[in-house]
Amino acid sequence: MNLKVDEAQARMEEIQRIMERATLFTLLPGTPAILGGLMVLAGCAVSYGMFRSLDFGDIVNVSVNQQVLFCLMWLAIGVVGIVMEVAWTTAAAKKQQLGPSDRPLRVAAFSLTPSVFVAVVLTAKFLLPVDARVWQMISTLKIVPLMPTAQEIQYIVPVWMMLYGTGVYTAGLFSIRPPRVLGLTFIAMGAIALLCVPQYGVLTAALSFGLLHIVFGVYILRHQRRVAR
Amino acid sequence: MNEPLKPDDIDAVIHERVRLSIVSALAVSPELSFNELKSMLGLTDGNLSAHSRTLEEAGYIVVDKTFQGRRPLTTMRLTAKGRKAFDRYLKSLRQIIERGTGEKG
Repeated sequence: MNLKVDEAQARMEEIQRIMERATLFTLLPGTPAILGGLMVLAGCAVSYGMFRSLDFGDIVNVSVNQQVLFCLMWLAIGVVGIVMEVAWTTAAAKKQQLGPSDRPLRVAAFSLTPSVFVAVVLTAKFLLPVDARVWQMISTLKIVPLMPTAQEIQYIVPVWMMLYGTGVYTAGLFSIRPPRVLGLTFIAMGAIALLCVPQYGVLTAALSFGLLHIVFGVYILRHQRRVAR
Repeated sequence: MNEPLKPDDIDAVIHERVRLSIVSALAVSPELSFNELKSMLGLTDGNLSAHSRTLEEAGYIVVDKTFQGRRPLTTMRLTAKGRKAFDRYLKSLRQIIERGTGEKG
């Protein structure tokens, strides 16, 4: 069989692409998804205990101290969740002799980062609504409370659901189906939450970031364990 | 410079594009299910079945048919013979590329 140099090079590139795609699947973090999901469920339970309601918008009715505690708790859950995912994925990649700059890890990072960044910006905007009230403060030289409205707070969970789903779906385009399904489910649930039930943020966060992550994590772990046998 | 080169131990079983994709994916995964491979490589049921059979007949992969609950589960993994053939194929490609690059230089 005769083979031209160009064809050999094309074959090598194709092999590399497929191997990267297959590698991405084995890097999917199952354990951090479960632990992250459990943390979110705990966070939702604490939030419900604080507000006695399923509406994150009710944060406007609690004391400033409780508001600060609430924000710190969710910030901690987010940071710990991200750190766990990065640590687990990096360790799994190391086992496969992949460095942080290798393509599979870069694909995962670059797919998620833009949408998470947009979600952070929107959250900041919803929590600190720099709007007409700022101009009112400047023009009257009087301090005006910048507390967001309950409605602005209600948008935060659905926005995170949809943008996180977009990032996961994009990362899944370079891998196999489960991450794509997870991403699309998040997007669909986020859209429903935003359009139909924004006042049930505690429940939709528990179902998506909590329960859905746990189900996904269990599926991935079961698969990876079966493969490792 | 694009002259066809002489045979370099190119394995016809692996060289076919779909079979090469299957073997490449299995080379970095200890085991993959039929559906995972189908989704990952964008193949149809018939296409994947036919090519996996050829690879199985050549002794390059093992196809296991089990049940997950009540649903049938087909998984595939690379055999030692398959890995050896894949490594040999990669070596041949590298030789062709190196030789071509040398001629250009």
